[in-house]
Amino acid sequence: MKSLLRNPFISILLRHLAAVFSVAVTTLILKPIEPYLEIQLITLLYLLPVILSTVFWGLTPGVLAGFLAFLSFNYFFIQPYFTFQVHKTQDLITLIIFLIVSVVMSQLIGQAREGVRLARSREWEATRMYELISALASLQETNSIAQALANHTQETFQSNRVEVAIGNGSGGLAVTAVAPNNSDQFSTPPFFNLPLKTARGQEGVMRLWQASAQLSAQEIRLLEAYTSQGALSLERIRLAKSENKARVLEESDQLKSSLLNSVSHELRSPLAAIKASVSSLRSGAVDWNIAAREDLLATIEEETDHLNLLVGNLLDMSRIESGAMKPQKKWNAIGEIVAGVATKMHKQLQDHLLEIDFAQNLPLVPTDYVMMEQVFTNLISNSVKYAPVNTTIELKANVDSDFMHVQVSNHSPSVPVEHLERIFDKFHRVTAADRITGTGLGLSICKGIIEAHGGRIWAENQPEHFVFHFTLPLSLDGVLPKYPQETIDE
Amino acid sequence: MNKDPVILVIDDEPQILRALKTILIANHFQVAAATTGEQGMALAVAQPPDMIILDLTLPDMDGIQVCEQIREWSRVPIIVLSVRDNEKDKVAALDKGADDYLTKPFGIEELLARIRVGLRHSDQSQGANKRNIKAGPVTIDLASHIVTRDGNELRLTVTEFKLLSYLAAHPDRVLTHQAILTQVWGFAELDHVEYLRVYIGQLRKKLESNPDEPQILLTEPGIGYRFRTTE
Repeated sequence: MKSLLRNPFISILLRHLAAVFSVAVTTLILKPIEPYLEIQLITLLYLLPVILSTVFWGLTPGVLAGFLAFLSFNYFFIQPYFTFQVHKTQDLITLIIFLIVSVVMSQLIGQAREGVRLARSREWEATRMYELISALASLQETNSIAQALANHTQETFQSNRVEVAIGNGSGGLAVTAVAPNNSDQFSTPPFFNLPLKTARGQEGVMRLWQASAQLSAQEIRLLEAYTSQGALSLERIRLAKSENKARVLEESDQLKSSLLNSVSHELRSPLAAIKASVSSLRSGAVDWNIAAREDLLATIEEETDHLNLLVGNLLDMSRIESGAMKPQKKWNAIGEIVAGVATKMHKQLQDHLLEIDFAQNLPLVPTDYVMMEQVFTNLISNSVKYAPVNTTIELKANVDSDFMHVQVSNHSPSVPVEHLERIFDKFHRVTAADRITGTGLGLSICKGIIEAHGGRIWAENQPEHFVFHFTLPLSLDGVLPKYPQETIDE
Repeated sequence: MNKDPVILVIDDEPQILRALKTILIANHFQVAAATTGEQGMALAVAQPPDMIILDLTLPDMDGIQVCEQIREWSRVPIIVLSVRDNEKDKVAALDKGADDYLTKPFGIEELLARIRVGLRHSDQSQGANKRNIKAGPVTIDLASHIVTRDGNELRLTVTEFKLLSYLAAHPDRVLTHQAILTQVWGFAELDHVEYLRVYIGQLRKKLESNPDEPQILLTEPGIGYRFRTTE
């Protein structure tokens, strides 16, 4: 029924029928009481259905009602009755005036009514527009903009389904938003296909499925305004993003050049030592004794290892920064990793005591063995560097709800609070005089690895201790390890 | 009479070739050199070497491919040398038949030790299998299933013994997780590295004098385990 009323042809027909009906009713009421009424009063009363029709059903039903009223009045109330003939001149004048009055009046009322209607619909349009604009203004993401646009359009135009599809700039589809949320896909093509255009070109498209294919010119205008608002918002965030990107690029450029300075310095120092040692050994000018030769050769080997470590660290750092650091998580025993590290670092650890104090029956942790080995190596070698000789470096591990909590504590001097977080930055040294050999990358690599594992790393000053903490999630994709069951049965 | 063993080095970097040649000849090996995979394989056919040292990055083909193709007709020990430091490549090389893996740069002592292990292993595989394996204070009698440490018999579970004997039967060689899991637990348990972690932990507690610094059951990070008999 509602859809029938929405059909414009039927609606016009009904409105005119209503006008006819109102005149008929008036005639039916007036005819029986005619003897009690003056003819002038009847004329005035006949104006009622005309006004009524104009006000409620519009200009043409009003004019129609005017003519009908004029004819009925002539037919039923002017003598001779039941003919359209007019005998008295006075009656003729009455009739003509009636016709003029009813037509002019219905015209005036109709115009006023149309004006009110227009004003109302403009107000509605403006309100809707305002709502959309204020909704879009605060959004920063493409998908939320698409969703807001789809929702508002659906609400405003009472569409069955609205789709907003936004491209990713390279021909592909980045985002699709649908309103209402769970509406079914239509097999029919959309009634409207509106492009979302920005200065850069078409960003996307909005598709509407309506119950009726008809939208008024005004509604179409509003719809177009909607799409251009949506496009503007897309452009706004794109500009904001590119500005942001430019800033980040600039910052990373600065970072890169300082990194390059740092790296070339770090690389050249061991190279200088190697070059000096080798060229000394090869020059025939001095006859090196055995101890001196040994010393020079040891320098060469140590510095080569140092260079190798540095290159490895740089590679790791670039992997972490490019997001290519993907841990190959397998079930590993922290104790086994630490044991391997302790064995390898035997020589480095000769002036310190490594104390391993792990809780009994620690669960296996999903980790990348090699990466975790590096974390422990870096944390222990950092401790060796800064802690006084003959002190202990203590390793602790225990389960803390869903995480393994590991601590590496040493007796190195405390780090000023403002540096506690920054020690995990690349090439960050607590003091300028801190030229203890190292790559300046160890801790930032630890941070990268632990974070790639889904854990957290931090440092803490404790009385007489400096402690590195890190956590590792205990489950792998929500699963815990499967332990084999066996007892001695021989 | 004993001839010096022949080592075929396949590496496209002239500096490495030059250094290896000098060092190996000084250590009483004969050296044949190839700079491409094709050339290397041709040389291996023409004059079968006692050992091959193979670089993974070759100009004409991948070293892992060379390894695979040589394995089709020869059991010659292959040591892979590479700058590639990721475990996937190492495991792939070992699975395709390489006997050992060293990452560049390496210490020459390490390389010489691996060469000796490789040559000894190939001697053994030609002779009778050893029944008794000694590693430090530990002796494993593969036939009678008896494991002793400093003369005292150790009590091992069936799986522990199975694991230990598999490792000990390939002394000083890297065995990948997958190889061990398939051998000891069967193909179905291929992915359960956690079993291995648990059992290696148990074995270390029984075998090693200090389980926190293992000397016999060594972890090859990200790859597998090595049963070490030499100091």
